[in-house]
Amino acid sequence: MTDTASHVTTQHATGVARRRLGRVLTTVGLLAYFAFSLFPVVWMILLSLKDKQDQLTTYFAFSPTLDSYRAVLGLGDADAGVPFLRFFVSSLVTSIGAVLVSLLIGVPAAYAAARFSFRGKENLMFTLLSFRFAPELVVIIPLSVIYPQIGLFDSYTGMIWVLQLVTLPLIVWILRSYFEDLSPEIEQAALLDGYSRTQAFLRTVLPLVKPGIAAVSLLAFIFAWNNFVFPLTLTSSNAQTVTVGSLSFIGGNEAKFNFTAAAALIAAVPPLVLALSIQRFLVRGLSFGSVKD
Amino acid sequence: MASVELRGIAKSFGRTTALADVSFTVADGSFFCLLGPSGAGKTTTLKTIAGLAEPDQGTVLFDGVDVGDVEPTHRNVAMCFESYALYPQHNVRDNLASPLRSPRHRRPEAEVVKRVTEVATTLGIDHLLDRKVGALSNGQRQRVALGRVLVRPADAYLLDEPLTHLDAKLRASMRAELKLIARQDGTTTVYVTHDYVEALSLGERIGVLNEGRVIQVGTPQEIWEQPATVFVAQAFGKPRMVLLPGAVVDDPAGGRFFRDVSGSLRAPLPEGADVAVGTQLQAGFRPRDARVLGPDAAVPDGHVAVRGRVAVTELIGAQIEVSVEVDGTLLAVVGDRARLGQVAEGDRVTVVVPAGRVLMFEHGPEGARIGP
Amino acid sequence: MSVLSSTQSPASTGGVPPSSAAGRVRVPRWRRRLRPYLLIVPAVALCVGILYPFLLGVFYTLFNYSATKPVPDFVGVDNYVTVLTQGEFWHSAWVTGLFAVLATVVETVLGVGVALLLNRSSLLGRLLEKVLIVPLMIAPIIAAIIWKLMLWPSVGVLSHYLSMIGLGDLTAIDTAGKAMFWCVVIDTWIFTPFVAILALAALRSMPRSPFEAAAVDGASPWFTFRTLTLPMLWPYVLVAVIFRFMDSLKVFDVIYAFTQGGPGNATTTLQISAYLQAITYQRYSFGTTFMIVLWAIVYVVSMVLVRYLGRVQNRSAGK
Repeated sequence: MTDTASHVTTQHATGVARRRLGRVLTTVGLLAYFAFSLFPVVWMILLSLKDKQDQLTTYFAFSPTLDSYRAVLGLGDADAGVPFLRFFVSSLVTSIGAVLVSLLIGVPAAYAAARFSFRGKENLMFTLLSFRFAPELVVIIPLSVIYPQIGLFDSYTGMIWVLQLVTLPLIVWILRSYFEDLSPEIEQAALLDGYSRTQAFLRTVLPLVKPGIAAVSLLAFIFAWNNFVFPLTLTSSNAQTVTVGSLSFIGGNEAKFNFTAAAALIAAVPPLVLALSIQRFLVRGLSFGSVKD
Repeated sequence: MASVELRGIAKSFGRTTALADVSFTVADGSFFCLLGPSGAGKTTTLKTIAGLAEPDQGTVLFDGVDVGDVEPTHRNVAMCFESYALYPQHNVRDNLASPLRSPRHRRPEAEVVKRVTEVATTLGIDHLLDRKVGALSNGQRQRVALGRVLVRPADAYLLDEPLTHLDAKLRASMRAELKLIARQDGTTTVYVTHDYVEALSLGERIGVLNEGRVIQVGTPQEIWEQPATVFVAQAFGKPRMVLLPGAVVDDPAGGRFFRDVSGSLRAPLPEGADVAVGTQLQAGFRPRDARVLGPDAAVPDGHVAVRGRVAVTELIGAQIEVSVEVDGTLLAVVGDRARLGQVAEGDRVTVVVPAGRVLMFEHGPEGARIGP
Repeated sequence: MSVLSSTQSPASTGGVPPSSAAGRVRVPRWRRRLRPYLLIVPAVALCVGILYPFLLGVFYTLFNYSATKPVPDFVGVDNYVTVLTQGEFWHSAWVTGLFAVLATVVETVLGVGVALLLNRSSLLGRLLEKVLIVPLMIAPIIAAIIWKLMLWPSVGVLSHYLSMIGLGDLTAIDTAGKAMFWCVVIDTWIFTPFVAILALAALRSMPRSPFEAAAVDGASPWFTFRTLTLPMLWPYVLVAVIFRFMDSLKVFDVIYAFTQGGPGNATTTLQISAYLQAITYQRYSFGTTFMIVLWAIVYVVSMVLVRYLGRVQNRSAGK
């Protein structure tokens, strides 16, 4: 009896020890990954706060200054010589424009795909999905020839048009999954209540998918904002965006690490803030509606 | 008000056929019950009437006019969905008021308020008017859905299982209430249910639907007493009708009669039935039509008898349900305890049924009834 | 939206709503049939507008169009022959494939690992989960810039501290292997959260009862993980794998900013090659041919992967 009892106790003790070890390893693993994940961002923040001398050091202690930000944005006397504020405005205009156009085109298409069965539906949806996976340069190379000829090179319109490759597939696919989640009987009830199809849509369906539309719009905005290859190839100055603009501080004779860091952070802030506000939605959004939360 | 007629409606979704051939007429102002098991096509039939489902074949007529090209919005029917289909973003009041605020049926707001209150009171949901529908129980939601139908006059009410999610007591009282409303309003109503008691108690006429086909249309009495097929006979009544397989044999005394496989039941063929000797048939009776007598009791005049052994007895209040085993088949008999007398499990008994209450069908689960 | 309201209710123009037959506005069948098509007209128009340059690109590949040859000659399949017989394409294809496989494998393993750790729901885990997506939401180009600054020879923070522990050589991007290594590290930094949040969603949506049953049966944690967690996780992780693999095949931003394809041509993936050919050297036909071939590869790979995903999802749904 005593043998068994002591055996059980040892087993119990090793169980506790193993669990404690598991907890320690979990914590160590998480800390290691997040150090890897967050250190670069922290370092950029530090670097952006350094002045011209400190930027060449790797110290963590220094007297911080906002000069780099002022210089990058062209505020005050320290001008970095790059119209970064204009790039920022271009990013805003083209991203918002692209999302609005995609909503206008995508909401009816997503609704049609969710509610009606019609010939060519899956072809249309697949074509849109293929835009998501197609290498951008397939379209860019011909466009880089066409755009200058029709005056769309380096223009907001040209950028908004080509960004549809990024925003439209996302919006259509995800909104379709939202519309499909809604029972069609709610709209049918509205029809029988005496509302027209348009009214039924606006009155019953739209309010119910509004959160989804908001979230997918923000995600589409983030992807449009973060896009690099389109502005790189199809703009030169007027419509150039922050992603391309951030590169302008690298190179040259003078080291401008602090400016580069500040520019990178400015470019990263809008998507980060928006992303943190739609955390719950990201699973569905990033998987194109194929994984629902 | 309008009469509603379906002619040869067929509808399939992909490879599954929802409706194969549905035809029936609902007279103006009458109450029509559509009964069938799940998957029979009841909801699709209702949606076809409403214009929400477009039939592949066939026509829907209101007052004899083809309404195939009329949109749901303009058919002027009201429907209570089995899923309720309430507007989740609105409270009960706004859900109920929705039809009366629509462009098609708009009423002055004062009238809307009055009407909504009336209907809510009738349905016992007047204390819930300011609640969001998400905060309601299923039974309450169902009544809101029903209220949204009753709140406005319509050419036809289409009700899809409107009472299923209510508890038993409320269901009985709502059934009575609905019957009253239907009689007062005189609105043409198509009522879908899988519950034969509802169908029998509410319907002026009943249509029995199975696998997308209308098997029989008739008054409750016709359906009960002269079911067209085995399916209809077994769809009504609980416990359901038990059938004994057998065949037509020659009576040495002249004529023919039915004898079941075990030879324990002999019954005259229904009047006017002309069935060849040797034809496979099945015979059955409603459990309430039978009585249980002692093993050696004389068979009363005009009755047929089956002998067997009591397998199980169940007391349900003043009622008793007796299962009698006859050659491997369990026959059910139900009645008052007083009428059925004392029976114990294992007793040998004689089950007697008035000859006229024995129904005979052709062979198979879809077998048609023999006789007038 | 007005296309939806192909009918106008007479009641909406005022007056008493007509009952019965009078109000039955008719809409002929062909107009009802047309309804979904009207809704998708803008989307179809846009698709056509995007497919036009694509088809134009295919057209280019049959010519020898470039900035120095504005009036091109028809050359048939010569471009394809050149591309497929030349070392440059195959080198790029090899680099692309290597990068895609390495990045996808590392991100998947690491992402699932992070998800499993986060799922143990310690206080630390809940805090860190909130910032999990930070690298993913920073533009890849910005991410590459950040790493480039950290790895800047002698003054970069990583170069500096790694050289202090004798690993300074690692940060000198002077061989193909080290260039590839850092490109994969950067891609991993950005996209591990992508795998992790999908895997975490999967872990959280798992039913409890099989795990409780396994615990009651005294199954070991490893056994439970292998026979329950992993099979249930796989359909979700596969979605992540497909997205990551397809995206890695067309990687551009990270490499453009970090190595520009170098040193030499050590990291010239297909999109980088095409960019250099078509945009930098303005050899439109030649560059497009690269892209059409890459597009064909992506298309075939996506078909295969999506079909496999369908099979896995059906199996896990018990079909």
